Amino acid sequence: MTKPETVYVTYIAAKPEQVWQALTSGEFTKQYFFGRRMESDWKVGSPWTLWMEDGRVDCQGKVLESDPPRRLSMTWHVEWMEEFRRLPPGVVTFQLDALGDVVRLTVMESHHESIDEKYKEGGRRGWPVILCGLKSLLETGRPLPPFDMSA
Amino acid sequence: MDKLEFFYVTYIATTPEKLWTALTSAEFTRQYWFGMAIESDWRVGSSVLYRQEGEITDRGTVLTFEPPRLLSYTFHPVLDEEMRRERPSRVSFEIEPLGGKTEPQGQAVRLTVTHDDFPPESKVFPRIRAGWPAILSSLKSLLEGGKPLSAACR
Repeated sequence: MTKPETVYVTYIAAKPEQVWQALTSGEFTKQYFFGRRMESDWKVGSPWTLWMEDGRVDCQGKVLESDPPRRLSMTWHVEWMEEFRRLPPGVVTFQLDALGDVVRLTVMESHHESIDEKYKEGGRRGWPVILCGLKSLLETGRPLPPFDMSA
Repeated sequence: MDKLEFFYVTYIATTPEKLWTALTSAEFTRQYWFGMAIESDWRVGSSVLYRQEGEITDRGTVLTFEPPRLLSYTFHPVLDEEMRRERPSRVSFEIEPLGGKTEPQGQAVRLTVTHDDFPPESKVFPRIRAGWPAILSSLKSLLEGGKPLSAACR
Protein backbone atom coordinates (compact mmCIF):
# COMPACT_ATOMS: atom_id res chain seq x y z
CA MET A 1 0.00 0.00 0.00
CA THR A 2 1.46 3.30 -1.08
CA LYS A 3 0.58 6.82 0.06
CA PRO A 4 -3.01 7.88 -0.67
CA GLU A 5 -3.49 8.50 -4.37
CA THR A 6 -6.94 9.99 -4.22
CA VAL A 7 -7.44 12.72 -1.65
CA TYR A 8 -10.45 14.96 -1.42
CA VAL A 9 -10.94 17.71 1.16
CA THR A 10 -14.15 19.53 1.98
CA TYR A 11 -15.15 21.87 4.80
CA ILE A 12 -18.59 21.46 6.36
CA ALA A 13 -20.47 23.75 8.75
CA ALA A 14 -21.41 20.99 11.21
CA LYS A 15 -20.21 19.29 14.36
CA PRO A 16 -17.75 16.40 14.00
CA GLU A 17 -20.33 14.08 15.56
CA GLN A 18 -22.85 14.99 12.84
CA VAL A 19 -20.32 14.36 10.08
CA TRP A 20 -19.37 11.04 11.68
CA GLN A 21 -23.01 9.99 11.84
CA ALA A 22 -23.57 11.03 8.23
CA LEU A 23 -20.64 8.86 7.14
CA THR A 24 -21.51 5.79 9.21
CA SER A 25 -25.30 5.56 9.28
CA GLY A 26 -27.26 3.98 6.44
CA GLU A 27 -30.17 6.35 7.02
CA PHE A 28 -27.84 9.22 6.09
CA THR A 29 -25.73 7.58 3.40
CA LYS A 30 -28.76 6.48 1.37
CA GLN A 31 -29.57 10.19 0.94
CA TYR A 32 -26.25 11.23 -0.61
CA PHE A 33 -24.28 8.06 -1.53
CA PHE A 34 -26.12 7.12 -4.75
CA GLY A 35 -28.91 5.62 -2.65
CA ARG A 36 -26.57 3.18 -0.91
CA ARG A 37 -26.81 2.20 2.76
CA MET A 38 -23.65 1.88 4.82
CA GLU A 39 -23.83 -0.70 7.58
CA SER A 40 -21.46 -1.82 10.33
CA ASP A 41 -21.03 -1.70 14.11
CA TRP A 42 -17.82 0.22 13.33
CA LYS A 43 -15.66 -1.73 15.76
CA VAL A 44 -12.09 -2.43 14.72
CA GLY A 45 -12.03 -5.77 12.90
CA SER A 46 -15.76 -5.75 12.16
CA PRO A 47 -17.07 -6.08 8.62
CA TRP A 48 -18.88 -3.21 6.91
CA THR A 49 -21.16 -3.33 3.88
CA LEU A 50 -22.39 -0.75 1.40
CA TRP A 51 -25.79 -1.99 0.20
CA MET A 52 -27.37 -1.08 -3.10
CA GLU A 53 -31.06 -0.18 -3.16
CA ASP A 54 -31.97 -3.55 -4.72
CA GLY A 55 -30.26 -5.47 -1.91
CA ARG A 56 -27.04 -6.31 -3.74
CA VAL A 57 -23.69 -5.61 -2.10
CA ASP A 58 -21.84 -2.72 -3.73
CA CYS A 59 -18.69 -2.70 -1.59
CA GLN A 60 -17.52 -4.27 1.61
CA GLY A 61 -14.49 -4.60 3.83
CA LYS A 62 -13.18 -4.56 7.39
CA VAL A 63 -12.79 -1.70 9.85
CA LEU A 64 -9.11 -0.94 10.43
CA GLU A 65 -9.35 2.11 12.68
CA SER A 66 -12.37 3.64 14.42
CA ASP A 67 -11.89 6.72 16.56
CA PRO A 68 -15.21 8.59 16.61
CA PRO A 69 -15.59 11.40 15.68
CA ARG A 70 -12.07 11.84 14.35
CA ARG A 71 -10.85 9.03 12.16
CA LEU A 72 -12.30 6.00 10.40
CA SER A 73 -10.27 3.69 8.21
CA MET A 74 -11.33 0.55 6.40
CA THR A 75 -10.36 -1.89 3.72
CA TRP A 76 -12.51 -1.34 0.64
CA HIS A 77 -13.44 -4.05 -1.82
CA VAL A 78 -15.77 -3.45 -4.76
CA GLU A 79 -18.08 -6.47 -5.13
CA TRP A 80 -20.78 -5.60 -7.61
CA MET A 81 -18.64 -5.68 -10.74
CA GLU A 82 -16.97 -8.93 -11.73
CA GLU A 83 -13.88 -7.13 -12.97
CA PHE A 84 -13.33 -5.47 -9.59
CA ARG A 85 -14.09 -8.51 -7.46
CA ARG A 86 -10.77 -10.20 -8.16
CA LEU A 87 -8.68 -7.12 -7.25
CA PRO A 88 -6.91 -6.77 -3.89
CA PRO A 89 -8.82 -4.41 -1.55
CA GLY A 90 -7.92 -0.75 -1.19
CA VAL A 91 -7.96 1.33 1.97
CA VAL A 92 -10.26 4.31 2.53
CA THR A 93 -9.73 6.66 5.45
CA PHE A 94 -11.93 9.54 6.65
CA GLN A 95 -10.19 12.17 8.76
CA LEU A 96 -12.32 14.78 10.57
CA ASP A 97 -10.66 17.91 11.96
CA ALA A 98 -12.73 20.39 13.98
CA LEU A 99 -11.80 23.98 13.10
CA GLY A 100 -14.03 26.33 15.06
CA ASP A 101 -17.61 25.56 14.01
CA VAL A 102 -16.45 23.89 10.79
CA VAL A 103 -15.22 20.36 10.13
CA ARG A 104 -12.49 19.68 7.61
CA LEU A 105 -13.28 16.27 6.15
CA THR A 106 -10.46 14.55 4.28
CA VAL A 107 -11.00 11.33 2.35
CA MET A 108 -7.95 9.34 1.38
CA GLU A 109 -8.00 6.32 -0.89
CA SER A 110 -4.99 4.02 -1.26
CA HIS A 111 -4.55 1.08 -3.56
CA HIS A 112 -2.34 -1.94 -3.83
CA GLU A 113 0.61 -1.09 -6.06
CA SER A 114 -0.48 -3.63 -8.67
CA ILE A 115 -3.79 -1.87 -9.34
CA ASP A 116 -4.20 -0.45 -12.81
CA GLU A 117 -5.03 3.26 -13.12
CA LYS A 118 -8.41 2.57 -14.72
CA TYR A 119 -9.72 1.06 -11.48
CA LYS A 120 -8.99 4.26 -9.58
CA GLU A 121 -11.22 6.39 -11.79
CA GLY A 122 -14.40 5.50 -9.85
CA GLY A 123 -13.00 6.95 -6.62
CA ARG A 124 -11.54 10.00 -8.29
CA ARG A 125 -14.86 10.86 -9.93
CA GLY A 126 -17.11 9.53 -7.20
CA TRP A 127 -15.78 11.01 -3.95
CA PRO A 128 -16.35 14.67 -4.96
CA VAL A 129 -19.99 13.90 -5.84
CA ILE A 130 -20.55 11.91 -2.64
CA LEU A 131 -18.92 14.41 -0.29
CA CYS A 132 -20.53 17.43 -1.96
CA GLY A 133 -23.88 15.69 -1.40
CA LEU A 134 -22.99 15.01 2.24
CA LYS A 135 -22.05 18.67 2.76
CA SER A 136 -25.28 19.90 1.14
CA LEU A 137 -27.34 17.50 3.26
CA LEU A 138 -25.77 18.54 6.57
CA GLU A 139 -25.81 22.26 5.84
CA THR A 140 -29.17 22.69 4.11
CA GLY A 141 -31.11 19.53 4.95
CA ARG A 142 -31.22 18.61 1.26
CA PRO A 143 -28.78 16.46 -0.72
CA LEU A 144 -27.67 17.55 -4.19
CA PRO A 145 -30.38 17.22 -6.84
CA PRO A 146 -30.06 14.03 -8.91
CA PHE A 147 -28.00 14.41 -12.07
CA ASP A 148 -26.25 12.32 -14.65
CA MET A 149 -22.63 12.01 -13.55
CA SER A 150 -21.41 11.30 -17.04
CA ALA A 151 -22.83 14.62 -18.30
CA MET B 1 8.20 14.60 -7.81
CA ASP B 2 4.48 15.27 -8.07
CA LYS B 3 3.37 17.55 -10.85
CA LEU B 4 2.59 21.01 -9.52
CA GLU B 5 -1.05 21.17 -10.47
CA PHE B 6 -4.01 21.76 -8.22
CA PHE B 7 -7.21 20.15 -9.46
CA TYR B 8 -10.51 20.31 -7.59
CA VAL B 9 -14.06 19.43 -8.51
CA THR B 10 -17.10 20.54 -6.58
CA TYR B 11 -20.83 20.09 -7.19
CA ILE B 12 -23.13 22.94 -6.24
CA ALA B 13 -26.94 23.17 -6.27
CA THR B 14 -27.16 26.44 -8.20
CA THR B 15 -27.24 27.79 -11.75
CA PRO B 16 -24.20 28.56 -13.92
CA GLU B 17 -25.19 32.25 -13.93
CA LYS B 18 -25.30 32.53 -10.14
CA LEU B 19 -21.98 30.73 -9.81
CA TRP B 20 -20.47 32.98 -12.46
CA THR B 21 -21.56 36.08 -10.53
CA ALA B 22 -20.10 34.61 -7.34
CA LEU B 23 -16.73 34.13 -9.04
CA THR B 24 -16.55 37.54 -10.69
CA SER B 25 -18.22 39.99 -8.29
CA ALA B 26 -16.18 41.48 -5.45
CA GLU B 27 -19.36 41.79 -3.36
CA PHE B 28 -19.73 38.02 -3.53
CA THR B 29 -16.10 37.03 -3.22
CA ARG B 30 -15.74 39.07 -0.03
CA GLN B 31 -18.46 36.94 1.54
CA TYR B 32 -17.10 33.46 0.85
CA TRP B 33 -13.40 34.20 0.26
CA PHE B 34 -12.92 35.20 3.89
CA GLY B 35 -12.94 38.94 3.16
CA MET B 36 -11.03 38.91 -0.14
CA ALA B 37 -12.37 41.21 -2.86
CA ILE B 38 -11.49 40.06 -6.39
CA GLU B 39 -11.66 43.15 -8.59
CA SER B 40 -11.47 43.41 -12.37
CA ASP B 41 -13.42 44.79 -15.32
CA TRP B 42 -13.03 41.24 -16.69
CA ARG B 43 -11.85 42.12 -20.19
CA VAL B 44 -9.27 39.74 -21.56
CA GLY B 45 -5.92 41.36 -20.83
CA SER B 46 -7.25 43.47 -17.94
CA SER B 47 -5.72 43.21 -14.51
CA VAL B 48 -7.23 41.32 -11.58
CA LEU B 49 -6.65 42.64 -8.06
CA TYR B 50 -7.01 40.64 -4.86
CA ARG B 51 -7.73 43.08 -2.07
CA GLN B 52 -7.99 42.19 1.62
CA GLU B 53 -8.87 45.02 4.00
CA GLY B 54 -7.84 47.55 1.37
CA GLU B 55 -4.43 46.03 0.78
CA ILE B 56 -3.56 44.38 -2.54
CA THR B 57 -2.28 40.88 -1.78
CA ASP B 58 -2.22 39.30 -5.25
CA ARG B 59 -2.50 40.40 -8.86
CA GLY B 60 -3.33 38.76 -12.15
CA THR B 61 -4.33 39.25 -15.77
CA VAL B 62 -7.56 37.99 -17.36
CA LEU B 63 -6.81 35.22 -19.87
CA THR B 64 -10.27 33.83 -20.68
CA PHE B 65 -13.70 35.29 -20.03
CA GLU B 66 -16.58 33.28 -21.48
CA PRO B 67 -19.65 33.66 -19.23
CA PRO B 68 -21.02 31.49 -17.74
CA ARG B 69 -18.63 28.66 -18.65
CA LEU B 70 -14.94 29.51 -18.63
CA LEU B 71 -12.85 31.94 -16.65
CA SER B 72 -9.09 32.03 -16.30
CA TYR B 73 -6.52 34.48 -15.09
CA THR B 74 -2.92 34.56 -13.99
CA PHE B 75 -2.13 34.65 -10.28
CA HIS B 76 0.78 36.49 -8.74
CA PRO B 77 1.15 37.06 -4.97
CA VAL B 78 2.73 40.46 -4.35
CA LEU B 79 2.81 40.85 -0.56
CA ASP B 80 5.39 38.23 0.32
CA GLU B 81 8.83 39.12 -1.04
CA GLU B 82 9.81 35.55 -1.92
CA MET B 83 6.51 34.76 -3.64
CA ARG B 84 6.61 38.05 -5.54
CA ARG B 85 9.82 36.95 -7.24
CA GLU B 86 8.10 33.85 -8.59
CA ARG B 87 6.54 34.14 -12.05
CA PRO B 88 2.71 34.15 -12.19
CA SER B 89 0.79 30.87 -12.23
CA ARG B 90 -2.62 30.33 -13.83
CA VAL B 91 -6.04 29.56 -12.38
CA SER B 92 -8.98 28.33 -14.46
CA PHE B 93 -12.63 27.81 -13.60
CA GLU B 94 -14.88 25.63 -15.70
CA ILE B 95 -18.63 25.57 -15.05
CA GLU B 96 -20.78 22.73 -16.44
CA PRO B 97 -24.56 22.62 -15.97
CA LEU B 98 -25.85 19.18 -14.93
CA GLY B 99 -29.36 18.41 -16.00
CA GLY B 100 -31.46 17.96 -12.89
CA LYS B 101 -34.47 15.67 -12.98
CA THR B 102 -36.60 17.98 -10.86
CA GLU B 103 -35.99 21.31 -12.55
CA PRO B 104 -36.17 24.19 -11.83
CA GLN B 105 -35.40 23.43 -8.15
CA GLY B 106 -33.10 20.62 -9.17
CA GLN B 107 -30.33 22.54 -10.87
CA ALA B 108 -26.74 21.61 -10.13
CA VAL B 109 -23.42 22.55 -11.65
CA ARG B 110 -19.98 21.01 -11.66
CA LEU B 111 -17.21 23.52 -10.97
CA THR B 112 -13.70 22.41 -11.87
CA VAL B 113 -10.84 24.56 -10.62
CA THR B 114 -7.40 24.00 -12.05
CA HIS B 115 -4.44 26.00 -10.78
CA ASP B 116 -1.23 25.21 -12.65
CA ASP B 117 1.74 26.58 -14.58
CA PHE B 118 3.94 26.80 -11.51
CA PRO B 119 7.72 26.88 -11.71
CA PRO B 120 9.56 23.90 -10.15
CA GLU B 121 10.14 24.37 -6.38
CA SER B 122 7.25 26.84 -6.29
CA LYS B 123 6.64 28.51 -2.91
CA VAL B 124 3.19 29.61 -4.03
CA PHE B 125 1.90 26.13 -4.87
CA PRO B 126 1.71 24.72 -1.29
CA ARG B 127 -0.14 27.87 -0.20
CA ILE B 128 -2.79 27.68 -2.88
CA ARG B 129 -3.18 23.91 -2.51
CA ALA B 130 -3.99 24.37 1.18
CA GLY B 131 -6.24 27.37 0.53
CA TRP B 132 -8.57 26.40 -2.30
CA PRO B 133 -10.69 23.65 -0.66
CA ALA B 134 -11.82 25.96 2.17
CA ILE B 135 -12.62 28.82 -0.26
CA LEU B 136 -14.55 26.56 -2.63
CA SER B 137 -16.38 24.86 0.27
CA SER B 138 -17.39 28.29 1.56
CA LEU B 139 -18.59 29.28 -1.93
CA LYS B 140 -20.79 26.16 -2.04
CA SER B 141 -22.19 26.94 1.44
CA LEU B 142 -23.02 30.51 0.43
CA LEU B 143 -24.77 29.57 -2.81
CA GLU B 144 -26.75 26.69 -1.30
CA GLY B 145 -27.58 27.91 2.18
CA GLY B 146 -27.03 31.67 2.01
CA LYS B 147 -24.21 31.54 4.57
CA PRO B 148 -20.47 31.22 3.93
CA LEU B 149 -18.15 29.26 6.24
CA SER B 150 -16.58 31.10 9.15
CA ALA B 151 -12.98 32.23 8.77
CA ALA B 152 -12.00 30.00 11.71
CA CYS B 153 -11.62 27.09 9.31
CA ARG B 154 -8.75 28.67 7.38
